[in-house]
Amino acid sequence: MGGQVSKMMGKIFGTKEMRILMLGLDAAGKTTILYKLKLSNQDVTTIPTVGFNVESVTYKNVKFNVWDVGGQDKIRPLWRHYYSGTQGLIFVVDSSDTARVEEARSELHKIINDREMKDALLLVFANKQDIPGHLSPEEVTQQLQLTKLKDKLWYVAPSVATDGTGIFEGLAWLSNNVKTQPQK
Amino acid sequence: MATTLPYRPSNDSLSASDNRQTSGLPRLSPAASFIGRSPSSSHGSFRRTSTDHATSGFRPRRCKAQYPLDSPERHVEYILVASFHIDRGPIMEHQYPAAISGDESMLAELMLPDQTHVRSQDWTMFFLHKDTSGDEETDSAGGKNKRKRKSQYHGNQEGADIQDEIFDETSDDPDSSDDEGGEGPPLMYVLNLVNTKQDNTVRRGAVVKAMAICTRHSFLHIYKPLLLLALEDYFKSPFPETLASLYDAVNAMDLSLMPKMSILERHILQSSNTKDMFLEKFEQMIRQREEEELQDGECPPSPKKLSRYALPRDTHEYESKVVYNDIPIPVKIPTVIWPETVGDFSLIKLIQTGPFTHPVIVLVNAILTQKRVVFLGHNRPSGEVAEAVLAACALASGGILRGFTRHAFPYTDLSKIDDLLKVPGFIAGVTNPTFANHPEWWDVMCDLPTGRIKISSHVETAPVTEGLLFFQQQNSLLPNSASNTTHDPTGDTLFMEDILRSISQRHGENAVRAKWRAYITKFVRVAAAFEEAVYGASNLYIIGPGEELSPDSPTGHQTDASDPKTLRGHGYVWTDETAKQRELSASVSRIEGWRNTRSYYSYIQDIAAMYFPARPIQRPDIHHHHDRLRALKLSHSEAASIYLALSHSVKDYAGICQLLTVAPENQAGLFYISMGLFHPDQVVREATADLLDRIAIHPAGRHFWTHVGRFAKLGYIRVKRERDAAAQSPISGSGSPVPTSPGASFGGEPQSLVGVAMGGGSKRRS
Repeated sequence: MGGQVSKMMGKIFGTKEMRILMLGLDAAGKTTILYKLKLSNQDVTTIPTVGFNVESVTYKNVKFNVWDVGGQDKIRPLWRHYYSGTQGLIFVVDSSDTARVEEARSELHKIINDREMKDALLLVFANKQDIPGHLSPEEVTQQLQLTKLKDKLWYVAPSVATDGTGIFEGLAWLSNNVKTQPQK
Repeated sequence: MATTLPYRPSNDSLSASDNRQTSGLPRLSPAASFIGRSPSSSHGSFRRTSTDHATSGFRPRRCKAQYPLDSPERHVEYILVASFHIDRGPIMEHQYPAAISGDESMLAELMLPDQTHVRSQDWTMFFLHKDTSGDEETDSAGGKNKRKRKSQYHGNQEGADIQDEIFDETSDDPDSSDDEGGEGPPLMYVLNLVNTKQDNTVRRGAVVKAMAICTRHSFLHIYKPLLLLALEDYFKSPFPETLASLYDAVNAMDLSLMPKMSILERHILQSSNTKDMFLEKFEQMIRQREEEELQDGECPPSPKKLSRYALPRDTHEYESKVVYNDIPIPVKIPTVIWPETVGDFSLIKLIQTGPFTHPVIVLVNAILTQKRVVFLGHNRPSGEVAEAVLAACALASGGILRGFTRHAFPYTDLSKIDDLLKVPGFIAGVTNPTFANHPEWWDVMCDLPTGRIKISSHVETAPVTEGLLFFQQQNSLLPNSASNTTHDPTGDTLFMEDILRSISQRHGENAVRAKWRAYITKFVRVAAAFEEAVYGASNLYIIGPGEELSPDSPTGHQTDASDPKTLRGHGYVWTDETAKQRELSASVSRIEGWRNTRSYYSYIQDIAAMYFPARPIQRPDIHHHHDRLRALKLSHSEAASIYLALSHSVKDYAGICQLLTVAPENQAGLFYISMGLFHPDQVVREATADLLDRIAIHPAGRHFWTHVGRFAKLGYIRVKRERDAAAQSPISGSGSPVPTSPGASFGGEPQSLVGVAMGGGSKRRS
């Protein structure tokens, strides 16, 4: 009942709802980003995610339901179960982990080539910009071979998740680009 | 498994009533047909001492242990430890005493449930389909493909064990030693504890470890305190020795004084709130043990009062202990274990989950018709969803139907989804809300935090079946079918109101479980009537010779007025034909939906297998006729034939147990039987008094007799006085004809039942 009413209100006042899936290699900073979104001004310390986290964040009239899924290689095959109904993908890259950026590229392309993800927006956080020796957002764009993508709306946002730098800029890009979805 | 059992030898002393010996029906225990009885021990009474009192006359046989000391089975078969490796994800660290399976990573994933990082502690449960004989295959996904059955461990008992079996009237082994019946080896139940410890000294700040106990006992919840201690120890000393000391401690637990109960005895005990019901059995177990020790000269003879063994305070539980690291941990084992009853779930909790009564019935119907049911508990501990799954299994089973736990996944996650979807009809518990976004994976989803039940958008409408057409035609023949349909034709609403009343009046989990058992019993009886009506015959009821199929309601013709056994009628009782048609027609979809399921076929097997243990009295159908006393307004002559038939047929220990199961204490107990004491015909009054005499000295029946109202007891005394006046002889308790079979001797001692009648019986033992 309450849900019905709030959906009605959403239609009247233009509130959008967006399902976001946040993926990336283990220790890229996904959970930190999620809780920085949720609890903007607090320090966040995280431990490895067993399974997933999911939180709702409202920003600029858009209610983001953000799914953050654990990234160890053994559990990556489970990511596909989260694709259905996803409107936006946040892919988090540890810009300082140059050794694994190729692995990140391969995983990212696997995800966005899936049929269920073809309409999803792609936001890449080039995270950990505070660590010496990190790749710049341009280098990340290049290494992930994003320019090769066709029919895909994408954006690379530099970020430092631990202090919140760049996080909301990324979210703003998502909310500006999401189409108004007919709500179920 | 049930169809090829050996026939019972006709000279078997266990056959108490004459019609059983000639019926040629299968006997249950495979043992008796090939093991000869030794004449010297054909009667177990040589073990009894002079201290036995009159009530033990019912149990001349040796009482058998549910978990004997010399059993080759271990309480716990494996201990496992897994952890979440920050680079690799879930990994198995140690397995003791050996590796349980080839697929370690699958087990490790199950042991580290989703979102375990957000809570410091979580319990979970899952089942493994594992052979009893070796350590080759494990299949937690429930696929039947790789299951092999080697030897049935309960099929090759030791000689001494079989000897006991013969004296043991509770020899309904297919039921008690392997509740899973013919579907494969018993499940391996896994109880798992996972702890997340924040630790700044390690990379990424936390250590996540899980320890699990694998057992074939369905009461796995008793191990919870031990896992708490042992996992804590493992954090300090992460070595196989920690697993070994837990393994040794739990397997040293002594349950050998817990008596084995027959199916009828378990039924009576569950439905009863009496804390000393069947205490005699516990006493006898202790007596047997003390005699054995005396014979072995293990300990010096001690006065009986200083027994080393204590009787249970409540016979519904057996108390024992596990000594772990010199700490004695008390454990309580439920004495009544039904199939499909695993762990320590609460039906009350599940029922109260929903905001309305209706969802529970939707849920039960979904499970009965083998739909895919998912319990989702987002942000809840995985132990909570596991309990809901186990409660749902017990709900649909009622302890009567099987095949739900075998296809249940108390806790599962996305990593098992492909295997899960191969199972046709399952009950699964998950915490990951992504399941809600995949309606193609389930038919019914129960959201635990809100208690709402969703039907999947993918569910197709039910196909048109023979039964549906049958009742459509029937109803079109009824002139005013529209006005006939009341708002509650199946009685489900009334039933749920009764359940909720029980819960609000704090009758307790046991009472609620007993009511669900009655509900499922009714469902099966209605389904039998449905099959007889629609198909002309039912697989769900073994019909007696000369019995009429699908009799009109009400029944009760007697072909030979002089022979009470010829009293006809069977199955569920409706007040009239219209009520019957209305209920059957309202139940079409769930009965038709049930007719193709695993639980339906298992039940048909069980009827054959349980033919004797569950129904020692085949004819008349005492459940049917007791229901008639309860539900119908009978004429004096109709009532007379029922009282006479009951008194005539209910004579021995097992027969009385059977009668007590159809007259449970929560449904007026012996009230309707005691009304026979006020029948206008003196013959009926006396027959009823004789029947009550037998019940009053029966170990379980005496508790029922205590609860009979004062009015009925005065009626009883009056009947006795009438008879005494007529015979002009002193009061004698044994007015009934002496039973002929040795299994049914009634402790020959004359006894004044007036004392018992006035409440003396309850004080006798205290």
